[in-house]
Amino acid sequence: MDFASLIQTIQTSAPAQWMRTSLAAMPVVEAIHVLAGAIVFGTILIVDLRLLGFPDTRRPVTRVCSEMLRLTWIAFAVSLTAGALMFAANAHTYVGNTAFRLKMLALLGAGVNMALFHGITFRTVGAWDRNAPVPVAARIAGATSLLLWVCVIFLARWIGFTKGYDFKIPPNTHIDFQF
Amino acid sequence: MESFAAWLQATPASNAIKTVGWVIPLLQSIHILTIGVVFVSCLMIALRVLAVMRTDEPAGAVWRRFAPWMWSGLAVMAATGATLVVGEPEREFSAISFWMKMALVAIGVVGTALYGRSLKAAAGGAPAEFRRSMKAASILIVVVWIAVVFLGRAIAYDKQVWGSLSPHA
Repeated sequence: MDFASLIQTIQTSAPAQWMRTSLAAMPVVEAIHVLAGAIVFGTILIVDLRLLGFPDTRRPVTRVCSEMLRLTWIAFAVSLTAGALMFAANAHTYVGNTAFRLKMLALLGAGVNMALFHGITFRTVGAWDRNAPVPVAARIAGATSLLLWVCVIFLARWIGFTKGYDFKIPPNTHIDFQF
Repeated sequence: MESFAAWLQATPASNAIKTVGWVIPLLQSIHILTIGVVFVSCLMIALRVLAVMRTDEPAGAVWRRFAPWMWSGLAVMAATGATLVVGEPEREFSAISFWMKMALVAIGVVGTALYGRSLKAAAGGAPAEFRRSMKAASILIVVVWIAVVFLGRAIAYDKQVWGSLSPHA
C-alpha cells in the first residue's frame, strides 16, 4: 500500500466518518486533545525546570521524573488517541499542512531528546540526584525539551488557522475560521 | 450586550487584533500553554491532599511551591483571554459556552482561593491525612477547571454543542 492509499484508507475509515458526521465528536475530542496536551506540557515543565535547577535541587531528580512521567505518559496516550481521531477526519489536508508537518518534527525532536537524556545522561543521576548541581548535558536536555514542547503547542494551534477545508466554500457563506 | 459587542468590535484595538493575522493564534497558543501551567499546578496540590503524589513533602510546602504558578498563570490567561475578547467580541459574547466558562472561571478562582485558605489552615496542624471534605474539595476544583477547558473549546462549536440553547442556532 503506498502512502496516498494509506491516507485515503484512514480518511474513509469508520472512526474518521464518525468524527465528520457526529455533531459533538469534534468539539469533545478537540477539548480532550487540548486538556491532555496541556497536562503533557505542564508535567514535562516540572521535570525540565528541575533539570534546570528550579526551584532548587532538594527534591531528587529520580523522584520528580518517576512521579511526573507516569502522568505524562497517560496524558500523552490520551492526547495521541484524540489527535489520531482528529487527523483521520481530515487526513489528506493534514499531511499537506506545513504547521502539522513541523509539529510532527518537533514531537520527533522531543522524543529523540528524551531518549538521549534517559539513555545517556540519566545513567549518572546517582551523582547529581539531589543537593548537587545538575550537569550541563542534563540542563541542555531540559532546556531543549522545554523549547520543543512550546513549539509543539504553538504549531498545534497554528494548524487550526492554516489547514483550511477539503471543500469549496459557497459564495456569500460565512464560516467561522477561528477554530 | 449586542450593541456593546458591536461597539467593541469597531474600536481600533479590536481591528488591530483581528487584522494582524498572527495575533489571535499567538494569544490562543499562550492561553493553551498557560492551561498546562495552571491545571497541572492545581492537580499537584489536589493529588498531594489526596495523598497520591508528593507525599514526601508537607501539603503546605506543595501549596507554596505551586500556588504562585497557578495565580500567575491565571493572570496571564485573564490577560490573553481579555485581549481575545476585544479582538472577537461578537464571537465570544454570542456563545453560551463563553458565559458558562466565565461563570465557572469565577467559581474556580473563588473556590481555589477558599480551598487554599482551608488547606493552609489544615496543613498547619500537619495532619497525617486530610478530612474527607478537603479531599472532596480537591476533586471538585480539578473538575471545575476541566469543565472550563471544555467550555473554552466549545466556544468555536457553540451551536453543535448546545443546539437550540445557543444564540447561534
